[in-house]
Amino acid sequence: MYLTIKAISVLVSILFAFAYFVWRSRVLVQLMNSTQKTGPKIETLVPRLIAVFKDVLMQSRVRRKRVPGTAHAMIFWGFIVITVGTVEMMVEGVFHEINLAFISPTLNHWYQWFADIMLLAVLLGVFYGFFRRLILKPKYLVTGADALMILAITAGLMLSLFAMNTFKIATDPISLFGVYPLSSKLYSLFGFYDLSTENAFIGTEIFYWVHLLMVLGFLMYIPHSKHLHILAAGPNIFFKHLGTPKALEKTNLEDENATSFGLGKISDISWKTSLDLYACTECGRCQEVCPADLTGKPLSPSRLIHDFKEELFLQKDLLLQKKYDDIPSVIREGSAVTEDVIWSCTSCRACEEVCPVNIEQTNLIFESRKNLVLMESKFPAELQTVFRNMENNFTPWAFGSDTRADWCKGLGVKEMADHPKAEVLYYVGCAGSFDDRAKKVATAIVKLLQKANVDFAILGKEEKCNGDPARRAGNEYLAQMLIQENVAILNKYKPRKILTGCPHCFNTLKNEYPQFGAQYEVVHHTTFLADLLREGKLKPHKNFQQEVTFHDSCYLGRWNDIYSDPRAVLEAIPELKVTEMPRNKNKGLCCGAGGARMFMEETIGKRINIERTEEAIGTNAKVIASGCPFCSTMLTDGVKAKEKQDTVTVKDIAEILEESLT
Amino acid sequence: MKIFVCVKQVPDTETKIKIASDGKSIDTSGVKWILCPYDEFAVEEAIRFKEKNSSATITVLSAGPDRVVDSLRTALAMGCDDAIHIQSTENADSFITARALAKAIEKEGPAYLVFTGKQAIDDDAAQVHQALAESLDLAAATVVLNAEYGDGVVRLSREIEGGALEKYELKTPCVIAAQKGMNEPRYASLPNIMKAKKKEVKKMNLSDLGIQETDQKISYSKMTLPPERGECKMISGDVTTAATELVRILKDEAKVI
Repeated sequence: MYLTIKAISVLVSILFAFAYFVWRSRVLVQLMNSTQKTGPKIETLVPRLIAVFKDVLMQSRVRRKRVPGTAHAMIFWGFIVITVGTVEMMVEGVFHEINLAFISPTLNHWYQWFADIMLLAVLLGVFYGFFRRLILKPKYLVTGADALMILAITAGLMLSLFAMNTFKIATDPISLFGVYPLSSKLYSLFGFYDLSTENAFIGTEIFYWVHLLMVLGFLMYIPHSKHLHILAAGPNIFFKHLGTPKALEKTNLEDENATSFGLGKISDISWKTSLDLYACTECGRCQEVCPADLTGKPLSPSRLIHDFKEELFLQKDLLLQKKYDDIPSVIREGSAVTEDVIWSCTSCRACEEVCPVNIEQTNLIFESRKNLVLMESKFPAELQTVFRNMENNFTPWAFGSDTRADWCKGLGVKEMADHPKAEVLYYVGCAGSFDDRAKKVATAIVKLLQKANVDFAILGKEEKCNGDPARRAGNEYLAQMLIQENVAILNKYKPRKILTGCPHCFNTLKNEYPQFGAQYEVVHHTTFLADLLREGKLKPHKNFQQEVTFHDSCYLGRWNDIYSDPRAVLEAIPELKVTEMPRNKNKGLCCGAGGARMFMEETIGKRINIERTEEAIGTNAKVIASGCPFCSTMLTDGVKAKEKQDTVTVKDIAEILEESLT
Repeated sequence: MKIFVCVKQVPDTETKIKIASDGKSIDTSGVKWILCPYDEFAVEEAIRFKEKNSSATITVLSAGPDRVVDSLRTALAMGCDDAIHIQSTENADSFITARALAKAIEKEGPAYLVFTGKQAIDDDAAQVHQALAESLDLAAATVVLNAEYGDGVVRLSREIEGGALEKYELKTPCVIAAQKGMNEPRYASLPNIMKAKKKEVKKMNLSDLGIQETDQKISYSKMTLPPERGECKMISGDVTTAATELVRILKDEAKVI
């Protein structure tokens, strides 16, 4: 009789909870599909499955943060194992004696043994979670009621299972004692030997229900909480952007039907961005490494994701009804996302690098900037001059375009117009062409190329800004104009190899020009120099008896995974000792200039370049090496601000190498 | 309520000016042409006026060769409603230009307000706004820093020497020549740039406006670049020796004292 009532009750409960869960999940999927932008095309399968295996099943990105990552992995793996038992419980509740033992008693024996141990693994993980959130309280971790609730439910789930197992042993100690290794210890501990079979059965059933109702309640709660990540993180990793380098989204500006460009309203995102928002569980790792948040700017990547998610849910009804015209702008009176938030980003991608579930925070920034500039003409005032300079003279700085090649007068540098078959096209960039400090780096590069007998030529007056500052400042229209003009010139010469003296030129030419029909081999000068050294075409001989610390440029490192080449150049120089900063390579802190921040005032909080320069000075190295003219400028300013210019110098890798050759 | 903005296309401030082979004009090859920065203030002022007076329409006009249409489009993208291109020659003087602009405004008018920049940054003549006002028989205020627009009246301040301001009250219609600082010119949004490409640019000839080439008052006989700046000479030593040396140089070498 009881079993019949139980079967019906379990079935009704399961159906109810699952129906609710499916309904709510369907709403989330509908919401994802109701936004207006087309998402990325998903064409490959195998690398995606590998990513899911590594980052979901093996938890590899989560575990990069050692202790919390391990705790998370214990909970995750524990749940995977225990879920089998949960399914078994549900099936058995409805169909009596249809369980794992029914399939295979041996399998059942081993499974129950293992699952019982995994209960403890999960409990330990949860215990650490409480400890971290209530005692350690790291600054980047926001603990709301939601987080504690989830931990409490998880603990409750495990404890109820332990209790159930312990009572279950008491129903048949002879065959079950030892099957559940830890519960058996509890059985002994609580002295359950005396328990009558009947009472043991009642106890088992009580905790069966406690556990089942908690599971079902949790199931219904998940789609409403930040715990949604357990549904969305897997798909988000599957659909992630593959590989490190990425191009900014090319907006079709000629689209006559387009009424808006960029991200103005929440409806302007794609299904993939919605998935990004669902996948975030506010672990705060991105905030921990964000140069903007670290220096007191209003931007935190995790808050940005949270605020966009809130906005998505706030506009849910209008989105589902497709009343797009009624949806207000994301940035509006009283909204959490402000213009300052959007302009604070240096596009260093530390957030994306560290995110365990591959959320692309910077896409929101770039698309929002696009909307502000193209549709609203709203941007920091100092950018207007920069845009004008790029429009009129094809460089962010106020220099006449016909003086672009003046820096190399007397150096014997050929131009492509006279030497179109040169093996290497040296794309100098605006800094190398116009900035006094960077001109010296360009000169050093030229001398190195000449010493190694490299057949190269520059574009001279035919070269224009690659478009990076305009594109990252949201001026897609201006950026595309510059890119198209450069593409026409590049396609005229079809160079075999393009060498750049700046990571920004490098990144744009390599990763974004293919969008516009110019696909060439592009190398950054540190890689090119490392190759020349490997081939023995350059032989540094002069001792460099100073300690050097290398500052990783974001557009070389996190955008293009180049960490070893610049270091290889430094290590090739006799007696040069490299001292790493605490934050280096993929954890390197931005100098503050990326994302066109180079050309904007930094008025809020501490200056990012000061934060980074302090770290560099802290290594006691006398030379700060860089591979980027923007980083060099920011760090030089930092050194001056710290009044260390007499003892610490900022040099490009090319200059250091050149010095050791002469 | 018709508002007119007269603009000039000028070489970009960073352009290296070269003298043409005839020695009387500049070599226009390789010159990047832009809308004169002072005229941008004029365009912006007109647009701001329109934003407060919905019945206003703004016509932007320029006299010059075909290339000036680009600058008219820039002004249209900022928010002017339509444009007039008066086909004129490369070296037309301020007189011809002012007369042509005046005739075009009379034809399309009546004007409620006419805005111009305080001067063009190429020849720095600062003549057209006043000549234009004279031709139209209107009052004019130049180097205007701010203006308040009342009913049939404009109260404005113009900059004079020593940073002082002169305050005037002009009856409309009148000509207002903008000084830098009158406003912050806007950056055109993409939809407005796209719309500007489709807006009408009316063509007019000098002869249609009753102007002959012989009306030109100024002819150029010769153009030269300013002399290159000599190298800077640093005088070292203590104050007394340095001062003595400076006096000697000024007396014997520069021969100015």
